Amino acid sequence: MTAKVLVVDDSATMRKIIIRSLNSVGYTDIVEAGDGSEGLLAFQQHAFGLVMTDWNMPNKSGIDLTSDIRATGSSVPIFMVTTEGDKGHVLQAIKAGITDYLVKPFTADALREKLVKFAVV
Amino acid sequence: MRVEFINPFVSATHNVFKTMLGCTLVRGPLSLKSEHTPMHEVSGLIGLSGRCRGMVVVSVSRLTAICAAEVMLGSRPEEVNGDVLDAMGELTNMIAGAAKNQLEEYRLTIGLPTVICGKGQTIAFPSQSAPMVIPFDSDIGSVCVQVGIVESPTG
Repeated sequence: MTAKVLVVDDSATMRKIIIRSLNSVGYTDIVEAGDGSEGLLAFQQHAFGLVMTDWNMPNKSGIDLTSDIRATGSSVPIFMVTTEGDKGHVLQAIKAGITDYLVKPFTADALREKLVKFAVV
Repeated sequence: MRVEFINPFVSATHNVFKTMLGCTLVRGPLSLKSEHTPMHEVSGLIGLSGRCRGMVVVSVSRLTAICAAEVMLGSRPEEVNGDVLDAMGELTNMIAGAAKNQLEEYRLTIGLPTVICGKGQTIAFPSQSAPMVIPFDSDIGSVCVQVGIVESPTG
């Protein structure tokens, strides 16, 4: 996969878990960000083929990051990877413009399935 | 504390450890905690707010924290370092989040996790919360989840 991927999560552990799964399906060009503000800055500096973001983060949440990305007119696939699993949050994320949703905890296989489904070259 | 608060945290802890660490937990007897000190040296803490307010503490030994981090990170840390504490924070976050999703009617919000390390720490649970202690055993060591929740005055 040649697409550049943005991984946004305030947990370095979760970023590593996500990156290992990304590597396993061929994504190797990955940029990390520790919160939504860093994520938005990175998004403005690079051309990403995929964005994976947590919801609850300091400075700027993943939902606000999603809204900001969509406000630019970008249709980049955005995955929300979060503990927020209730219907209200899922609907809120869909309205903000996410492409898919993965609730923590998740297996590496579950994440890989979603990545393969939305394979971006 | 309401009995209905307990099972979501029991099942969430089982699910998180099984899914993220491949680790099967065996629950021990529940008890009420009179002293507000963590059961083990490494503890992840998360506050809860909404129609209820409270605190969840996930406590493990240093070795268990290192074992958990090894699975999550793909390599074994030599000591309890920043990576291990971050991994504990994420496990605590997932347990609190998974339990919260089972308690939708209480419209809970969880805070960002904090992790503490060391002996003799004191944790301030909300007053009148009567924290419940939920112990588990596993192949990577003991895990203790403490939950103290009270209904908020404004409901």
